[in-house]
Amino acid sequence: MAPEVQQALDTRVMDLDSGRSTGMEQTLVAEAKEAPRETDLAFDRLYRSSRDDVYAYVAGLLRDPTAAEEVTAAAFERAYRKRNRFDPQRGEPRAWLFGIARNAALDELRRRGRQAEMSAEPTDLSSLRAEGAEHDERRLAVSAALERLQPVERELIALKFFAGLENREIARVLGISESNAGTKLHRAMTKLREACDGTA
Amino acid sequence: MEPPRDDQLIADLQALRPTPRPQFAAELDERAAAGFPRRWRKGVPAFSFAMRMKWPERPLRLLVPAGGVAVIAILLVSSLIVANQGNPGPHDNLALLEPSREQSAMPPAAPDKAGGAGRTATGGEATEPQSESEVPTVASEASIGTSNAGAAVSGTVAPELEPFTEKVHRRAVEHSAEVVLAADPGDVGEDSSTIFEVVHAHDGIVMSSSTREGKPGQAGARFELLIPSDKLSDALAALSAIDEVRTRHEATTDITAPTISTAELLRDSQARIDSLLTQLEGAETEGEREAVEAELRQERRHRARLRGSLQHLEHRASFSRVLLRIETGVAHESSGGGAWGIDDALGDAGNVLTVAAAVTLVALAVLGPIALIALLAWLTHRAWVRRERRRVLS
Repeated sequence: MAPEVQQALDTRVMDLDSGRSTGMEQTLVAEAKEAPRETDLAFDRLYRSSRDDVYAYVAGLLRDPTAAEEVTAAAFERAYRKRNRFDPQRGEPRAWLFGIARNAALDELRRRGRQAEMSAEPTDLSSLRAEGAEHDERRLAVSAALERLQPVERELIALKFFAGLENREIARVLGISESNAGTKLHRAMTKLREACDGTA
Repeated sequence: MEPPRDDQLIADLQALRPTPRPQFAAELDERAAAGFPRRWRKGVPAFSFAMRMKWPERPLRLLVPAGGVAVIAILLVSSLIVANQGNPGPHDNLALLEPSREQSAMPPAAPDKAGGAGRTATGGEATEPQSESEVPTVASEASIGTSNAGAAVSGTVAPELEPFTEKVHRRAVEHSAEVVLAADPGDVGEDSSTIFEVVHAHDGIVMSSSTREGKPGQAGARFELLIPSDKLSDALAALSAIDEVRTRHEATTDITAPTISTAELLRDSQARIDSLLTQLEGAETEGEREAVEAELRQERRHRARLRGSLQHLEHRASFSRVLLRIETGVAHESSGGGAWGIDDALGDAGNVLTVAAAVTLVALAVLGPIALIALLAWLTHRAWVRRERRRVLS
């Protein structure tokens, strides 16, 4: 909803409260009271476009689906509370959201007193079985190689390939430059490929 | 198995991408639609109550009225403080008028009662009363030199001179007052004449007076008056009726203690003189008689000094000192006299603002360090959390 429209509606609400509105206006204003604001709509769009990505990133970082669900919900809750404080000039909404999710995930790791280790279910491979034995083996090798990476490297790969973030968004989330993010990502991929070679 | 190519590796990674359970996704969608209501999270008991509370989305909406209430409370307290400061007691005024009178009225040092024995006598004494056996009292001494002192003393000290503790209820009180009248320059002369009439009508004394003619602000008059204390109220009312009262201050000072102590010293001195007179009657040799006479002369001088001091104290209790001024032109400061006007309002507003500023300053002095400590604690905690977050992945 455009700001001027919202302002006009707010004015009508004030008129209604002061008893200066007709019956028709009262109905319209009552409906307008229920209308979501622009920030709510923008957050709703952000939520719908990022829900699965946030979960994928958090799950890739925590390696624990149950904890990932908790942290994902907590991250969206924190973001919702802070939605009015978001400044578009300081970055993109997705980078802002993933920054919150990252902090929530790191807090979870800190709270549990451990680093990002695989503790629960490994990657669900049931969906891979149908695609053939070669694919299965290769993806198992990639999954095993992922676990051998450093948590920092695994986070980069999760941000890039699980969450689908651009390099500049990754840079914003991690608080580093875009070129630095690209370099680190390249190194992580190289290590992952080498780890896959070792597994193979 | 061949090592994966880049596109294969990326495809494999994307295939390994975790996906949320449909049930979790549906629950999260519901919570998103409901505006993410706070929920009690397992394992965080410390925040259970706070998490379940319904916090407003915009706390400023609560903070603004709360801050307004706090400001109003501060202003009310400030106004009360100002109101209390604006009504000083009468004793405060006395201190302003004549701060050193109490000290100057104190009796002289105690006489050296044993020092007279054995001294050489060198002549008679002219200041002694006719009868050496007459015992002086406060009342009789007060009647010396004043026309109506005995009747005018406010709470006159009894002639029997009982111990001070037994006579606390009969106080000797000194009154004083200061009155400022506002007049037109042309009325100063007439007002001055009326003041003389009022003073004489109340058996008072004009100690000094001066009048000055001229333009508004320059013309004026000044009177130092002595008014019998029992007629002070009537006299002040009459003086205040002469013209517009700009200021009027009244004050009292209790001088019971110095009055009684001086009277007791005087009684002791009289007893000493009686004793010496008895010794003189019994003296057998010329030398002995001269020694007693010398001591008698010294004691009589001491008694005369005490009598003078007592008279002065009685005079202070019997007569009230009134300082009366007639001013012309604009008043220099806001006062309680006359109608409450813009100047008074501005003065009051200034006082309120001053006190409010002082209260705010004190509040800041208290809250500032606390806020600083809280800020430092918050910054330290934040830095520690950031460091821990970095460390958890390293």
